[in-house]
Order: sequence, then structure tokens, then C-alpha cells
Amino acid sequence: MTTRPRLATDVNYVNGLAALALFAVMGYVFMTSELGMPAGFADGSITASIGYAMFDMLDQAAIEAEGFLVAFIVIALVLDAALDGAVMLARREDDESVVAAITDGGRPLSGRESDGADAETATDDVTGGDD
Amino acid sequence: MAIQTQYFLLLSAAVFCIGVYGILTRRNALVFLMSVELMLNAANINLVAFSFHHGNLTGQVFSLFTMALAAAEVAIGIGIVLVLYRNFEDIDVTKAATMRW
Repeated sequence: MTTRPRLATDVNYVNGLAALALFAVMGYVFMTSELGMPAGFADGSITASIGYAMFDMLDQAAIEAEGFLVAFIVIALVLDAALDGAVMLARREDDESVVAAITDGGRPLSGRESDGADAETATDDVTGGDD
Repeated sequence: MAIQTQYFLLLSAAVFCIGVYGILTRRNALVFLMSVELMLNAANINLVAFSFHHGNLTGQVFSLFTMALAAAEVAIGIGIVLVLYRNFEDIDVTKAATMRW
């Protein structure tokens, strides 16, 4: 039997009114602000200027910007750390191996209670049918 | 003929408030992640809009870094959702009320 996505009914609509109130306040502030027309960019390639700004080569950029080389290195390290963190979180504590995603639609596993069952049996239980 | 900056801000406020609405009303952890993503992208719209407003590319470059940070956040977030499902057999954020079990 296939399942289809259903409209969520356990939604807390009252709390959502706070978001609407926030939008009303922000909309009022933005619409009554006097920012004027945008200045726009100078002539030249925007994409090339972004690339030059990212690597601190501002003398070649057509449009004014700041250098972002340090931010570029820092974001590379952060992405690396996030990748390591995601692998660390996905690793099971018992057998120290990353298992494939269980595409069971959130159904409870039949071999769930016994901790000694390995990943292969659990996956077979899921694909073989339900309890 | 350029669009006035305040309409970009209004769009950004709408996207941000949709994200806030999702966080306040829903209980699914994956929907939470999507809502946080909407809020981050609303900030990106603001950065690009003010970049155009001042004729300086700094905002556009910084929005690229914000997107990379959002990717890192989603990687960690999905890892946390995975652990949440493993420990509580559910990704309802209201059920995970204790840090040790």
C-alpha cells in the first residue's frame, strides 16, 4: 500500500498569529521608510567582480566591494567541520558503521527492540513486509 | 527602471515571516529545518537588495557565504534529525524533551 502526503492537522494556528503580527509590523516599517531609488551597479561584469572580491583581487574588479578571502577560508573549514559532524551523528554507536537510509516511511521496525540485531536483518525486515 | 528597495524588503519580510510561521506552528523537525532555511534566505534577499541599493557588491558576496553556512547548518540539522528518529522513533520536536534517556 502506498502512502501519500496528507495535510497536517496538528498545527498550532494560534502561535502562527505572532508571525502575522511580525509581518504587519515589518511591512508597516518598510513601507513608511524613505529609502529612495537604488543607486545600481557601475558598468562591468557583476559575476567577475564577485569572483575578484572573493579572492581579494579588488584592483581588477569593475564594481566596488570588499575582500572576502579570509571569510572564504573560514567557510571552507566550517563546511568541512559540518561534514565531519554529520558523519559523526549518522554513525551508529554500537557497530561504528554508517548504514544506508531506511526508507520505511517512519514505520516502526520489527527488530527494533533487540539491540543485538545487525543492520542487514533490520533492513530485510523493512523490505520484506510489515509485522 | 529599477524596483524600489522597500519592495525587496517587503518580500524579504514575507519570506522571513513564513519561516517564523512554520517554526511556531509545526512540530516536525524536518519542517523546522525548511523554515530556518526560509529565514536565512530572507536575510539573503536583504543583503542583495541593499547591495544593489548602495551599488556595492559586498552584500552579494556575503550572501554567497550565508548560503554555504546554510548548507553546513542543514548537514548538521539532518544529522540531528537522524539521531532524534533513532532515539525517539519520531521526529516530533515536542517529544524530545530530555537530553539524556
